[in-house]
Amino acid sequence: MSNPVNVYDARADHAVVAAESPLAYSYASSGTPAPARHSRVVMAERAFLGHLILRGGAIVIDEALREVLGLSLPGRPNTLTVADDGRYSVQWLSPDEWLLIVPGGEEFAVEGKLRQALGESHFAIVSVGGGQTVIELSGEAARDVLMKSTAYDVHPHAFPVGKGVTTCFAKTNVILRRPDEARWEIIVRRSFADYVYRWLLDAGEEYGIGVTRESHHEA
Amino acid sequence: MNQPNRLAQGGRIDRRQPLSFRFNGQTYQGYAGDTLASALLANGVDLVNRSFKYSRPRGIVAAGAEEPNAVVQLGSTPATQVPNVRATQQALYDGLEARSTNGWPDAQRDVMRWVGKLGGPFMPPGFYYKTFMAPDSMWMTYEKAIRKTAGLGSSPTAADPDRYDHMNQHCDVLVVGAGPAGLSAALAAAHAGARVILCDEQEEMGGSLLDSRAQLDDRPAAQWARETLATLAEMDNVTLLPRTTANGYHDHHFVTLHERRTEHLGETAVSADGHRPVRSRMHRVRAGQVVLATGAHERPLVYAHNDVPGNLLAGAVSTYIRRYGVVPGNRLVLSTSNDHAYRAALDWQEAGREVAAIVDARDAPEGDVVERARAAGIRIITGSAVIEAKGSQRVSAARVARIDREAFTVVGQVETLACDTIASSGGYSPVIHLASHTGARPVWDESILGFVPTTVAGVHAAGGARGVYPLNAVLADGLDTGVRAATALGFTAATPAAASPHCEAPDEGPACALFQVPHEKSTLRAPKQFVDLQNDVTAGAIEVATREGFESIEHVKRYTAMGFGTDQGKLGNINGMAIAARCLGQSIPETGTTVFRPNYTPVPFGVIVGRHCRELFDPARYTPLQAWHEANGAEFEDVGQWKRPWYFPRERRTAEGTRLETMHEAVVRECRAVREGVGILDASTLGKIDIQGADAREFLGRIYTNKWQKLAPGRVRYGLMCGDDGMVMDDGTTSCLAENHFLMTTTTGNAAPVLEWLELWHQTEWPELDVSFTSVTDHWATMTLTGPEARKLLAELTDIDLDREAFKFMDWREGHVAGVPARVFRISFTGELAFEINVQAHYAMHVWKALFAHGDKYGLTPYGTETMHVLRAEKGFIIVGQDTDGSVTPEDLGMHWAIGYDKPFPWIGKRALTRSDTRRENRKQLVGLRPKDPSVVLEEGAQIVFDPDHAIPMPMVGHVTSSYYSPTLESGFALAVVKGGHQRMGESVYLPMADGRVHEAEIVGTQFVDPKGERQHV
Repeated sequence: MSNPVNVYDARADHAVVAAESPLAYSYASSGTPAPARHSRVVMAERAFLGHLILRGGAIVIDEALREVLGLSLPGRPNTLTVADDGRYSVQWLSPDEWLLIVPGGEEFAVEGKLRQALGESHFAIVSVGGGQTVIELSGEAARDVLMKSTAYDVHPHAFPVGKGVTTCFAKTNVILRRPDEARWEIIVRRSFADYVYRWLLDAGEEYGIGVTRESHHEA
Repeated sequence: MNQPNRLAQGGRIDRRQPLSFRFNGQTYQGYAGDTLASALLANGVDLVNRSFKYSRPRGIVAAGAEEPNAVVQLGSTPATQVPNVRATQQALYDGLEARSTNGWPDAQRDVMRWVGKLGGPFMPPGFYYKTFMAPDSMWMTYEKAIRKTAGLGSSPTAADPDRYDHMNQHCDVLVVGAGPAGLSAALAAAHAGARVILCDEQEEMGGSLLDSRAQLDDRPAAQWARETLATLAEMDNVTLLPRTTANGYHDHHFVTLHERRTEHLGETAVSADGHRPVRSRMHRVRAGQVVLATGAHERPLVYAHNDVPGNLLAGAVSTYIRRYGVVPGNRLVLSTSNDHAYRAALDWQEAGREVAAIVDARDAPEGDVVERARAAGIRIITGSAVIEAKGSQRVSAARVARIDREAFTVVGQVETLACDTIASSGGYSPVIHLASHTGARPVWDESILGFVPTTVAGVHAAGGARGVYPLNAVLADGLDTGVRAATALGFTAATPAAASPHCEAPDEGPACALFQVPHEKSTLRAPKQFVDLQNDVTAGAIEVATREGFESIEHVKRYTAMGFGTDQGKLGNINGMAIAARCLGQSIPETGTTVFRPNYTPVPFGVIVGRHCRELFDPARYTPLQAWHEANGAEFEDVGQWKRPWYFPRERRTAEGTRLETMHEAVVRECRAVREGVGILDASTLGKIDIQGADAREFLGRIYTNKWQKLAPGRVRYGLMCGDDGMVMDDGTTSCLAENHFLMTTTTGNAAPVLEWLELWHQTEWPELDVSFTSVTDHWATMTLTGPEARKLLAELTDIDLDREAFKFMDWREGHVAGVPARVFRISFTGELAFEINVQAHYAMHVWKALFAHGDKYGLTPYGTETMHVLRAEKGFIIVGQDTDGSVTPEDLGMHWAIGYDKPFPWIGKRALTRSDTRRENRKQLVGLRPKDPSVVLEEGAQIVFDPDHAIPMPMVGHVTSSYYSPTLESGFALAVVKGGHQRMGESVYLPMADGRVHEAEIVGTQFVDPKGERQHV
């Protein structure tokens, strides 16, 4: 193999090992206000998903993705493609860089299959799921909360479903995207997650923000 | 309820909602819909402030943002103080408490007024500079006293209980001002389909329509405004922002708006539904096109004693009568240069008060409104002006005379008219402040006697803001501007739906140019004629400035302070320029304008800061082990934005009871644990970069100074990185994970810059190399287990063979630790046996706790960055940025072993290391220092000399970069850079301290503990 790399399954068995999501600290230190009837925005973490950074040429990666997941690369910058069942998504990050999100636990197998499919091409795949998490915002005031947080235009005219950008968020960087009509997703680095969580609780306070937590983190 | 100046009916106030408020300690009543200013006038409060410099009594002059005098301090508690509030812009609420900002002990019984009265003639422009000049050293002392008598309000002294925030807005068309032009423009742009934001600074949107006498489409103007606003409010693509001032126009149509959300309700926001609403909000608007429908400010005339309370703008008089049902006096004299101001006299008379006369500077005024005044029996004195107001605390009479405007003289007899109010109007100045913020110089338009904005792409002035004054023309201009703004962005105008309402064109005669009114005496001898009321600048001061040689209007401004501060020249600037032009014998366009700057009106710091304060001031980055560190009493150190445990103080029992260890005690204990047992450090903050590609190895060889060709999978190497100047910029270890796969570590603070550095060289210089970089800093948690007992402890938890031969120093292995997949690296930053355990961050807490569950019997001790520093310094391991400062080469550090001069590709920095300056022998070089007195810990940064007896200034030959107490050596020790230090081993150097002591230290090698490096290999 001309591209020998160390492909490594870093995932532990969550039935045996206690895993902590990037927001575990925040839940304990800042609390999780329950969504109430007056909550106009709700925040939920989609923890422990598999995150893979794909680097390389668009054509070969597109072919490999179609072969392995039946998913095509987004055709334009700052957009994402979501599989019909919503479990897989791939987003443009830069001209030779995409973020592939897969159900937690599948990342090692998917990486292996993609490497197989990509064969001799120039490419790189890096698993980064331990280092970032997905925070979901929903509710009628979600857009107001985002307007307080980012200078990017989040109006539906400028930010339709299927768009995703890397942008400033308060004083950090996030990936902000709109997988469907009802939800916004913020992908934040683990070390900045608590700051973003506290920022969102604060920005959403006037809209009665609530936090939902998945009872089981296995996606 | 005694409001002597309140009319029984009329105005837009709600007489069923009386409100109580306090001003300067007195309780008054007003109504909902009042501003503080209208309520004060209703109560007959003439004196609202003392002037800035001369401490003269001042009253309300205007009805809007241009008010120069009624600048008050709001708030009843130390936490709720708001300085610099214009009473004309502050809505009245029940319980409002306000004070004058100037005057000691208060505005009524002011002490400074005697200075103003006596010293007035002796306080020319530049007074403070001239009088308090010498000696230089005393200026600071003078300044304190001057500030006490001058200031404009005071800051709150307790924490603000309110919330302020920011909202980022985007729109196609931003319309500033919701008067006739703004409403029409917004409607036109919105009908064309553009996203529109319409903001207006007043309590109620509608601008001049709210007190207009005009009929629009056979409805009162105010009703048309209300209906238009209702239409706009129902449109999805329109955002209405009332009580919102556009304060700054920045680059690229970025405009900052200050929205006052609860200021009209009380001095703090009242909690509702369990949360506290935002008091003020900064809207950060990025607009495609901007319509400035900011209207015009009326110019007062400049005549003697025009600052005595009772001198008002003509338009303000109309506004107070028609909008607030307040007549601010009993007997009026109106001095005007134009028709429009006649409304004030008509309104005054209709309100049932007496008009003594209209004094018109024009010889033969004509026009509808003039005829109506004549028909109403009002005396009109033509070709004349009010040349002086009489009275001290309130106007008592107006001195009126015929004037020759061309010759700037009074002709004929002076007549004195008894009155208590003088309204004046010298015409109108378009509000060009925002347009000026873009940097575009306004131009003089002789036809309207005012400056109008020049054309800037994407900026459209409409209506009064560009000198279009008749209402029918303003409405049409607004509509046209809205269409132009929308179509410039590609929208198609839908005209019929938003056609301009029908409005009679007023028949107005031409105005005449009148700024300063001549007096019988010359300007310098006449009583003070004020130009800028807020800064106490007089016509005489401007004349003096021009005589003293200040010919540029910008210099005149600075010398006299005209247009300074919160006022930004709203009332006075044009008059001032006209006076300067007269004195210099040139035209107004030749004289030009000064630059208006943001902010248009003062903006509270709270709203500028928004939520970026206190715990949200800056992101705090946490490792996955933060909760454990906190639970175990760590003290934290900021490293960039990261919080890193600094040390872990334990409770210590002493004769007096238990107390926490000092940092010194904790560090000594932590150091001993590592050297004698086992310690653990959370090293998760280290930058980590995954590098893949067939050319990864080649790339590393070009970026690092040392060689990478032969590093085998499973091995780790230390690397130094230089800038292209040959100076050390980062260091760290890089592991070969597979033939084409590496894991680079960087210093904590340099993670992002190093990644950018790699991308820079790859993208711009060597795009042909097959290599890519991905940050995995946050993906992996790193736990450094180190000390002689580290192997035994780790062996209890791992399936990796830890045998010293199978797993050597600078090897890495894959396996499990505590049931978690882990990569373990035998890297040592302490000089002891060490294993750096990397696991995916989700499992860090699990592994960390498992190590502690097994670690007790080995005395497993958590340690922080301070102990890490001591241990690494004992080994002579550098910290980039502490022991280096951007002027240190690898050779200066004595790290020749990490430089591959014979590598085939010239790595970054190589060429610079062949320069004569980097090759010379007396460069500052890194050495160890051993103080002669072992109890001394040298100060970091202390300067080093060779000869302590040398006369001052001594030649300084280096400085201490790192210095600690070593529990292992039982002595202080240091790293330092010393000129030619590598050749001076064993010599003494001296460190003279600020307190006169001189420490002596011996130059030694940088490795203080285990110089042969045996312990890390065990």
